[in-house]
Amino acid sequence: MFSVLSYGRLVARAVLGGLSQTDSRDYSLVTASCGFGKDFRKGILKKGMCYGDDACFVARHRSADVLGVADGVGGWRDYGVDPSQFSGTLMRTCERLVKEGRFVPSNPVGILTAGYCELLQNKVPLLGSSTACIVVLDRTSHRLHTANLGDSGFLVVRGGEVVHRSDEQQHYFNTPFQLSIAPPEAEGVVLSDSPDAADSTSFDVQLGDIILTATDGLFDNMPDYMILQELKKLKNSNYESIQQTARSIAEQAHELAYDPTYMSPFAQFACDNGLNVRGGKPDDITVLLSIVAEYTD
Amino acid sequence: MSPVFPMLTVLSMFYYMCLRRRARTATRGEMNSRRAIESNTRALPINVEIVQYAKEVLDFSSHYGSENSMSYTMWNLAGIPNVYPSSGDFTQTAVFRTYGTWWDRCPSARLPFTRTPPTFCSQDYVELAYEEPVYPTAVHILETYHPGAVVRILACSANPYSQNPPAEVRWEILWSEAPTKVNGPQARQFTPCIKQINFPTNLIRLEVNSSLLDYYTELDAVVLHGVKERPVLSLKASMIDMNDIDEDEDEEKYGCGMDTLNKQFSVVTLREWPTNGYFDKLPYELIQLILSHLTVPDLCRLAQTCKLLYQHCCDPLQYIHLSLQPYWARINDTSLEYLQSRCTLIQWLNLSWTGNRGAISVSGFSRFLKVCGSELVRLELSCGHFLNETCLEVITEMCPNLQELNLSSCDKIPPQAFNHIAKVGSLKRLILYRTKVEQILKHLCMSGKMVHMTKCLLSLQIEDYDLIASMMGAKCKKLRSLDLWRCKNITENGIAELASGCQLLEELDLGWCPTLQSSTGCFTNLARKLPNLQKLFLTANRSVCDTDIEELAASCTRLRQLDILGTRMVSPASLRKLLESCKDLSLLDVSFCSQIDNRVVLELNANFPNVFIKKSFTQ
Repeated sequence: MFSVLSYGRLVARAVLGGLSQTDSRDYSLVTASCGFGKDFRKGILKKGMCYGDDACFVARHRSADVLGVADGVGGWRDYGVDPSQFSGTLMRTCERLVKEGRFVPSNPVGILTAGYCELLQNKVPLLGSSTACIVVLDRTSHRLHTANLGDSGFLVVRGGEVVHRSDEQQHYFNTPFQLSIAPPEAEGVVLSDSPDAADSTSFDVQLGDIILTATDGLFDNMPDYMILQELKKLKNSNYESIQQTARSIAEQAHELAYDPTYMSPFAQFACDNGLNVRGGKPDDITVLLSIVAEYTD
Repeated sequence: MSPVFPMLTVLSMFYYMCLRRRARTATRGEMNSRRAIESNTRALPINVEIVQYAKEVLDFSSHYGSENSMSYTMWNLAGIPNVYPSSGDFTQTAVFRTYGTWWDRCPSARLPFTRTPPTFCSQDYVELAYEEPVYPTAVHILETYHPGAVVRILACSANPYSQNPPAEVRWEILWSEAPTKVNGPQARQFTPCIKQINFPTNLIRLEVNSSLLDYYTELDAVVLHGVKERPVLSLKASMIDMNDIDEDEDEEKYGCGMDTLNKQFSVVTLREWPTNGYFDKLPYELIQLILSHLTVPDLCRLAQTCKLLYQHCCDPLQYIHLSLQPYWARINDTSLEYLQSRCTLIQWLNLSWTGNRGAISVSGFSRFLKVCGSELVRLELSCGHFLNETCLEVITEMCPNLQELNLSSCDKIPPQAFNHIAKVGSLKRLILYRTKVEQILKHLCMSGKMVHMTKCLLSLQIEDYDLIASMMGAKCKKLRSLDLWRCKNITENGIAELASGCQLLEELDLGWCPTLQSSTGCFTNLARKLPNLQKLFLTANRSVCDTDIEELAASCTRLRQLDILGTRMVSPASLRKLLESCKDLSLLDVSFCSQIDNRVVLELNANFPNVFIKKSFTQ
């Protein structure tokens, strides 16, 4: 008699638990990063999370997990400005904003705006420009909020298919939207987009969704099907396997970039615009690979 | 079946459950900070030392950065250090607004109040709240640039996170020392020897004085070490006090002076000394002069000695200038009431830093001003968080002769309250740093008497600084100093009208005004129109160039302080011209100017030894 009641209770609980729609667990992103700078200048030791002129960050806060990538515009090098300074400082600043909780998870454009304004508050006269892409996972609402300015971007993969992707923002060929700080004599001449110009999207995510955030070094060299092929090899959501997959994606993109005969997406786009080119696009590659998983402290 | 097996299973279950319980981790503390370490003494009850970083910055008197920013603002003092042990001028540190004596040497510098006790030399403060109240055993201050500013550490008995207002708010000084010169800008961990107190605290206040420093001091974090239970050491001390032998010894030491004196005078009978001795034969004014050197608490104590001195000490002429800032921790409504009768002729009153946490009420303040406000000329109310609209109304009504008003950091005053100040027609000097003022300046400009408007910055709500500047140019012809630090949207038009109208300007702070572009010629125009300029700050204006410097050299020969931090376009040649032409120049800040490297600074220092050339660095 006793055992029937106790079993009944167990069964009822299991059934009800399975039927309930709302998942009250908190989500988190397990993220690994990998990348390659365009020139392998061994002498220059960059701080972690900087690959060539690209920079990225991964930050945790009580209410959200935030990722960001920034692609420094290399053209500044011709004017004596180090392009990695701007993108690196922008990402460090956004990371600090997140860690100190000075952001709203549903407003990633706000993170960009605040980060950009903080750059202007620095005594050091920063110069340069970069694209930026911020991805925020709100733990409790299970929504992913994104902001993208320029040609970096993200993919969301579920069940082997791309369910969301970011749009590239370009003024014209090879000139993406960019945040910039110009020297006073060049103001008005240098392209400078406002952080408000960033594209912003929000959507729900599920456990097991894969989010790939990267700079154009990846997307210009690897078409979607190749990326999806690599992601199929991702079996479980522990950090080591994600790191391995991120590395293999970045490595493959890096190889393809230097292949002169390969018809990369970049070359395809150029051909569509009337430029007869072939081959990969040597560029800094930054890959942040994340999986949506349950939040553990 | 033997009974052994069920017994074994039950026993092993019990064992397993006990193991699990022990293996479970003890605390799941906040992200921010707690770490318990066992102390060495095992014989006595174990007193666990808790190490905490500040949870929150509650209050402060000033900072370098913008109000909502993370760069160079006081908010960086909370949490773990961002920069330490690196040295340098980093954005992630807490920086106060001023350093050295430069602001005391400006045209807008105010005369200090007399009768400041020599032990009080604090210029700025910051209050930090921690998670857990502890009995402090150590305070580590991580300073990352030009250390040596901290002069006082205090602990408060009130818990800022408790739901009920505290019964009694007591501040105890943990450590205090006069400012000392620290050589070099290198980072250091400052651990002064603090006093033991007999109440647990989670509210620490640091007071700083940067007058001996070569550049801005920067603080990264403040670590509080403490124990939850009262330390055993203090219990031991109190036990010794109970000991009879020690008590007698103490009395011997301190009492012997009085004893011998008493013995001397007991010989002479009272009949031979009918009055207060020869003291009251001195002229009244002379006694007043002698007493004017006493600090206010001493004056109050002296009043209790005899009738003659009581009369002198209560004379309103002793209270013409009164500064209660050094006693901010103890001033409350009762003190104001007590002083009321003596302050009827008061002209200068300093209530900065007082009255917070309920010490002074609006009615207490109003009552005081009603009695004492009629002659008031200078009123300092910096960091008075108890001030509200009613207080400003009272000030306007009761102080018709008011010429100087300092409302720095009074952030509880609503914007519309400042309209009352417009009615004070005799105002010459006004400080509105970090207040919520919005439209006041338009009204103020109607009064042509304004001479100094220092630190009127950081009002994000002010829509149009250009309009204000042109108003000032039109109406405030006598303006001698103006602080437009961090005025977000002032342009060359406003500056032009200001320069044309306020010909007497000697001090102009245009630091961090990004909308001013040198290519419009606004700085050269400024230099030409304002030959009396003594202080010009163009901090972080990236467009300042050689033309501007050369025009300053040509037109503003009386220049004493110039700050051109962060511009890439000024060359050593134009600086040399400037230094040759402006003989009075004593401060030149060329930090982060890319063309001016350390070699150039050394060379300029050698040729112009009277000028302090500041070059800050980040690494």
